[in-house]
Amino acid sequence: MDEKEIYEGVKAAIVEALGVEEDEVEANSSLFDDLGAESLDLLDIVFRIEKTFDIKIPRGGIQQDVLSAEGVKEEEVVVDGALTALGAEKLREKMPEADPEKLKEGFRLDDLPTLFTVQTFVNIAKMEIDKK
Amino acid sequence: MKLENKTAIVTGASRGIGKIIAQTLAAEGASLVCVDLNDCDQTVGEIEAAGGTAVSMSGNVTRLSEMEKIAQAVIDRFERIDILVNNAGVTRDGLILTMPEEDFRLVVETNLFGTFNCTKAVAQQMMFQKSGRIVNISSVASTRGGRGQSNYAASKAGINGFTRSAAVEMASKKVTVNAIAPGVIETEMSQEVVRRAKDTVMDMIPLKRLGKPKDIANMVLFLASDEAAYVTGQIFHVDGGFRG
Repeated sequence: MDEKEIYEGVKAAIVEALGVEEDEVEANSSLFDDLGAESLDLLDIVFRIEKTFDIKIPRGGIQQDVLSAEGVKEEEVVVDGALTALGAEKLREKMPEADPEKLKEGFRLDDLPTLFTVQTFVNIAKMEIDKK
Repeated sequence: MKLENKTAIVTGASRGIGKIIAQTLAAEGASLVCVDLNDCDQTVGEIEAAGGTAVSMSGNVTRLSEMEKIAQAVIDRFERIDILVNNAGVTRDGLILTMPEEDFRLVVETNLFGTFNCTKAVAQQMMFQKSGRIVNISSVASTRGGRGQSNYAASKAGINGFTRSAAVEMASKKVTVNAIAPGVIETEMSQEVVRRAKDTVMDMIPLKRLGKPKDIANMVLFLASDEAAYVTGQIFHVDGGFRG
């Protein structure tokens, strides 16, 4: 499945979950700031993407990927819920679509969803589809 | 009819308040899924005899996996879950000093965890639909307590807190969550209380009669209907003005 097909599937999931117009949704739209999502909406989007592509997206996905990466200890990337410089660097690699000006040392991991864009979900879906 | 084309799940529907709730919702056009530990054949038979639609599904509300299977079976059959009534409940009255831990655990697991499990099992479908009505059956004991009812009162107070939080969580998906706190209702469950202290109980009820299961079912019907679209996170006392 090519990325365009995945993008269309993700876009449809977001349009349905948030009740927004299709033309409001672009790859770099922020889920929270541009599209008005709330935390429950992220789960709604994840469930719909899972259904669309018949995949299972691990809960806590991106954070877990970084935290559990081989050779990286948790305390090297997160201290008291905030990213270390190394943690921020790893997450920027994982989420090139996120605003690098915000994803810096000291950024709180709990706030990560505020940096999610439509492309974030395309990337997550693609990763899980590729695993199939 | 107020609930035409709606699908409703009622737990603890084999008897008592749950049975009357199921019949009341069915009479307003809802397709009923009657859930209980054992079968609900009698409830289903009575609903069908009255021209309604109902099925019986057996399951233990204390087991999330069983409730998830039931939710999936309902979606497979009816394609929707519009209403969930968390009514299944048990009592194991006893003084704290002599109450076995298992009795406390059983009551909390059935009444409170059961409410959580069933809500969790239907939440995703209601979220997809962007509509849903969840009605939890609490109790007058949730706010007043009662001698020998520490387990029951704690479980029902937990349901009140759960109701308020679930309402906030699910509001953006247009799913409403409310609770009804019945007073003393004429059921098998309350027979013992009434037998022991009917006069005392009556003195505490300004309306001077015990509640009937239909009194509770009527409130469930309202909360499950479109007319209650703007009502969520509330605990409704249906108790004849009980002053305990």
